[in-house]
Amino acid sequence: MSWSMNTLCRNHSVRNTLILGLGVVALAAVALSQTLNVRVPSAAVAGESIWIGTTGSGSATFYLIGPTVSLKHDVQLGSEIVVPSKQTEIAGQYKAVVCVDHCQSADFYVAPAKPASLTFLVHPSRVPVGQNDAISGVALAFDEFGNLIFEPSTVDFQLAAKGSALTTRSVQTQNGIAWFRAPSGKAAGALQVTASLHDVSARRVVQQVASDPCNLRIKGQRTPKGVLVETEPIRDCAGNPVPDGTVVTFTAKNGNEISTVDAPVKQDVARAQIQAKGTLVVSAASGVVMGNELRLEAQ
Amino acid sequence: MLRRADKSYARAFCSRGMLWLVGGVLLAALGCFATDTAPQVVLDATKAAPRTVEALTQRSIVRDYRFAWTNLSEALASNSANPLNGLFEGTASSWLHDEISNQLKNGLTSRYLNQNHKLEVVFYAPEGDVMELHDTAEYDLEVLDGNKSIHSEHAVVHYIVLMTPGADRWVVRQIQSVPHF
Repeated sequence: MSWSMNTLCRNHSVRNTLILGLGVVALAAVALSQTLNVRVPSAAVAGESIWIGTTGSGSATFYLIGPTVSLKHDVQLGSEIVVPSKQTEIAGQYKAVVCVDHCQSADFYVAPAKPASLTFLVHPSRVPVGQNDAISGVALAFDEFGNLIFEPSTVDFQLAAKGSALTTRSVQTQNGIAWFRAPSGKAAGALQVTASLHDVSARRVVQQVASDPCNLRIKGQRTPKGVLVETEPIRDCAGNPVPDGTVVTFTAKNGNEISTVDAPVKQDVARAQIQAKGTLVVSAASGVVMGNELRLEAQ
Repeated sequence: MLRRADKSYARAFCSRGMLWLVGGVLLAALGCFATDTAPQVVLDATKAAPRTVEALTQRSIVRDYRFAWTNLSEALASNSANPLNGLFEGTASSWLHDEISNQLKNGLTSRYLNQNHKLEVVFYAPEGDVMELHDTAEYDLEVLDGNKSIHSEHAVVHYIVLMTPGADRWVVRQIQSVPHF
């Protein structure tokens, strides 16, 4: 016996049975979807308890899957499930899954809480004075649970050095980050760099040091063993004394004979004893700076 | 007793059968591999600011981010922190360790299959010590309670990622999903 679809549809009793069957399946599907439904919060904040609603009756297994979280416990359908604040500390996407013989799930997001700390990266730790764009700072805001706060907010940067005016600038965070670049000051010393967001702040210190020496001048005198040469107090072009340990190279020339001595600066002055005889032409250099030439006649 | 022609026919039949068998096994193996491939990562560094990302750094980021996701999915599928292998540091590392121990406690495992990551550098610090990336990740996620699948979906998830340079690699310090960029 072979029946085509047309034959089937023409047969009233078969057609009625089919329609009834489809109706039952549709009703069952609707009933099933009504018995198990998961309602999640539209807005949740890290570290706050949340309530998840379910429909239906009987017992079910509830799962909460999210960043760091994998919860599983039995629940009664139709009642609200309380997720304690401890389980929502990490911001991000969560899935609430309820299973009886099949599973239903719903997604929701947990947003970061209010700013509680600033990660503040400042470079460099030591910088010569008078340099353009020599200092940079990057600030990232986090809540108390370590979530990056990506909602735009304004970070205030302050640069304060002894003897110079306070510099401030306000920068709006983009993708959770605010940053700045600034020139170094004119005077050597500690530069306090502070980033503030609401009542949260972080402070770093940049040591501003003298730049290259400026106007290197030397003086010298004959000694029984040769010559003793020393610099006048060495300062950079802004008048800051160069740090101890800065190397000054003294060169003594006598015709084709050349003697070279490296001497570190101690208390602003570099000194060297050069063993040489005859008429000498002594010069000094430090970094890219050349000093004056000193002519010392033979004794 | 088989005749000579029959023997050669039987030998040819057997060798052809072996070929089919080997081919079948290979195809099955390829089929298995086709169900999950290594994470695919593409990087767009054209919008990086204030510092531009050097070509070598771009290659390192793609390599290390791919390794990071390979290791992350292995760790969450096996509930073992061993595969994490130093590619996650700080907050990202402690969050992942927590997730693994919570999964283990409840007998759950997660599988991240067929991953595609579209990475975009949105911030690269002036001194090159931190980079922020946006990852639009697509994968097939399956969550299992024991052997029973409780959730499966093809997911598209947006991640904000912070990476910093380590001694010989870039490490993930923060990975946080967001509704949108």
